[in-house]
Amino acid sequence: MLTSHLVRLVGQNLRRNRKNLAFASVGIVVGISSFVFFIALGAGVQRVVSTQIFPMEANRLQVVPRSIEFGSATGGRPIDEQALSDFAAIPGVAAVYPRMRLAFLASTAVDGRDLSPAAVDLLRRVPGVTARMLEAVRDVRVWLEIMGDGIDPRLAAADAVAGEFADPPEGEPIPVLLSRRMIEIYNGSFAEARGLPKVSEMLLPFLPPLPLTLNHSFISREVRGAPAPARMKVVGLSRHALMGGITMPLETARRLNRRFAGEAAAHTYSSAVLEVTSSDWLGPVQERLRGLGFDLDMSEKRMAESVGMFITLVTLGFSLISLIIVGIAAVSIAHTFFMILYERKREIGLLRALGASKGDVRNLILAEASAIGLTAGTAGLLLGALACLLSDTLLARFLPDFPFKPESFFAFPVWIFPGALAFALIFCWLGALLPARRAAALDPAATLTGR
Amino acid sequence: MIRLRNLSRVYGQGPSATAALRDICLEIPEGAFATVVGTSGSGKTTLLNILGGLDSGYLGEAQVAGRELRALTDRERSAYRNETVGFVFQHFALLEHLTALQNVALPAFFANAREPAPERRAAEVLARVGLGERLHSYPGQLSGGQKQRVAIARALYRRPRLILADEPTGNLDTATGAQIISLFEELNREDQITVVVVTHEDFLFKNVTCKVRLEDGRQVEGAPC
Repeated sequence: MLTSHLVRLVGQNLRRNRKNLAFASVGIVVGISSFVFFIALGAGVQRVVSTQIFPMEANRLQVVPRSIEFGSATGGRPIDEQALSDFAAIPGVAAVYPRMRLAFLASTAVDGRDLSPAAVDLLRRVPGVTARMLEAVRDVRVWLEIMGDGIDPRLAAADAVAGEFADPPEGEPIPVLLSRRMIEIYNGSFAEARGLPKVSEMLLPFLPPLPLTLNHSFISREVRGAPAPARMKVVGLSRHALMGGITMPLETARRLNRRFAGEAAAHTYSSAVLEVTSSDWLGPVQERLRGLGFDLDMSEKRMAESVGMFITLVTLGFSLISLIIVGIAAVSIAHTFFMILYERKREIGLLRALGASKGDVRNLILAEASAIGLTAGTAGLLLGALACLLSDTLLARFLPDFPFKPESFFAFPVWIFPGALAFALIFCWLGALLPARRAAALDPAATLTGR
Repeated sequence: MIRLRNLSRVYGQGPSATAALRDICLEIPEGAFATVVGTSGSGKTTLLNILGGLDSGYLGEAQVAGRELRALTDRERSAYRNETVGFVFQHFALLEHLTALQNVALPAFFANAREPAPERRAAEVLARVGLGERLHSYPGQLSGGQKQRVAIARALYRRPRLILADEPTGNLDTATGAQIISLFEELNREDQITVVVVTHEDFLFKNVTCKVRLEDGRQVEGAPC
C-alpha cells in the first residue's frame, strides 16, 4: 500500500474511533508528561549542582603536594618554582595557575557604627537595599580570623567587577575575591535571618573598603612582631576564591608572605591549577603528575559525582514510575485495539477482499498506533512542559529563599523531546503489535461469511 | 478464464473433518455468465472464496486467468483480488462511515500504482450503475437496491476481468433483484466481464452460459463447459 493511501486510511479510521482511542491514550499523555517533568527536574537540579554548588571544568586539574604521612616515603615534594616549571613542561599542559596560601595570621573587625554617613548614603542607593537593612547593617559587630590565599589573576580576572584584581601599591586597599558558594550560603541563610542586604555583584561597587589586620590573631599566641593594619576591597565573587576566606592577587600574597613569614614562604605554593589542551590529555597528565610526586585534589569532583549520582538515581526512579504509567497505557491501547478489531472483523475481511495484503492490514493497525503515539506523545510533552512552567512560577512565589535557589528548577536536555516521542511511539507500537498480528492473520473468507 | 480440476476443500482434521467441496471439475471461458446453485451448505460460497483468492487451503487445481491461485504469495494473491476480481456480497459490505464515492474508491487504496483521479473514476462507475446523483450519500441513506449498486460499482472500480457475486439478490425484493440481475447481464454483455453468481434463484437469469449445481459439496450439474 502506498504511504499516502495508508495515511488517508488511518485518518478515516482514527476519526471514526476517536473517542475510544482518546480515552486509551490518556495514560500515554499522563506517563509522557510525568516523564518530561521528572527528567527536566532532575536535569535542572543537576545543572545547579554542576554550575553553582560544585562547578567543574572538564579540562582543569588541581595539583597539591603529596600528603605528609606518605610524602617522604613516596617521593613527595613541595610546589615551588621548579615544580611549576616541571608542570609547564608536561605534554598537553596549556597553562599553570599557582595558588599561594597566606603563611601568617590575619583578622578583621567590622563595626557597623563605624560606617561613614557617605558610605551609608552610598549603600542606600543600591536597588533592593531597604532602610531596615541599613539599620541592621549599623548593628553589625563582626570579629573574624581571616584565612586567605593568592591566585594568578588570569584565573579570575573576569570575576572582578568592582575594581582591578592586581597587586595594589603600598597603602592602597588589597583587592579580594569572595567565594560565590560562601556568599550564596550567607545570602540564603544569614542575611535572610538577620535582615541584612544580600551580597551581589551589584552591591560590591557600593561597599566601602573593610579593615584588615595583618599578622594578628584573636585566638593564637604564635604571632610574632607587630600587627599591621590594612584595608581590603571586595572586587568580585568567584568560584576560584577560597571557601571561608579571602583570595587576593598572587603577587600580593607573595609580598605579604615575604614580609611576615620569610622568603621561603614567598616561593612555596599551596596548589596549582593546570589547564590541559583537551580533556583527552587529562589521563596522561594525571599520570605524569603522580610520577613527579604530587597528588590531585579530587574532593570537589568526587563530591559532585556523588551528588550527581544521587540526583540521577532519584530521577531514574521517578522516570521509571512514568514509564510504568506509559506501560500500563500500552496495555490499555492493546485492549482498545482488540476491541476495535473485534468490531472491525468483517471490515478487515472486506479490505482483504478488495486487495489488502496481510502486511497492509498489519501496517494499517501499526500506523494507527503510531498516529496515537505521536499525538499523545506531543500532548504529553506540552503538558509536561506546562507543568514545569507552572511549578517554577509557584516555587518562585511561595518557596522562601535558600542557598543556591535557582531561577528555574527545570532544564530540558535536547534529547528529551525526541526521546519522549520515541517512548510514546514504542509503547503504542508494543500495545498494537499483538492486535496488528491478530488482524493480519484473520481468515478473510471466514470473517466475510461470519464463520 | 476459470479451470478447476479435482478441487476439494476440507475443513478440520481427523474424525471431525468436513468436506465442503469434493472433486469439482469445471471450466468457465472468458466472457461467460455462470451461475452456481445449490442448497444452503452445498459449498457454493466456499467455491466462490477459492475463485476469489480468499481461500487457498484447497486440494486439486484452481486456475484463474492462467494462474494457479495456491501458488501465489499473499502479496500476489492480494494484487490478484485487487486487479482481476470484483466481489459483490449478499450483505453489500459497505462501510457505513464512508460515502458512496468513498466506498467505491476503496480498492484504490490497495493498488500498487497511484490511480490518477480516483474520485473521478468512482463517479464514473457510480454513474455506470445509475447512481450518478447519489455520490455523496452514506449507505444509511440508500435503499437496498442502491446499496447493491454501490457494491457493484466498487467491484467495477479496478476494471476486473471477473466478477464474483455471492447471492447478490438475497437481500432484495424481487423487482429490485431483477434490476440487479439485468445490470450483471449488461456488464457481461457490454464489457465482456466474466460473471460468476452464486444464487438460489437461477430461474431469474436469462443469459446464463454455464450452470453449476452443487449438492453436499459435489457437482451434480454442469460438466466442464
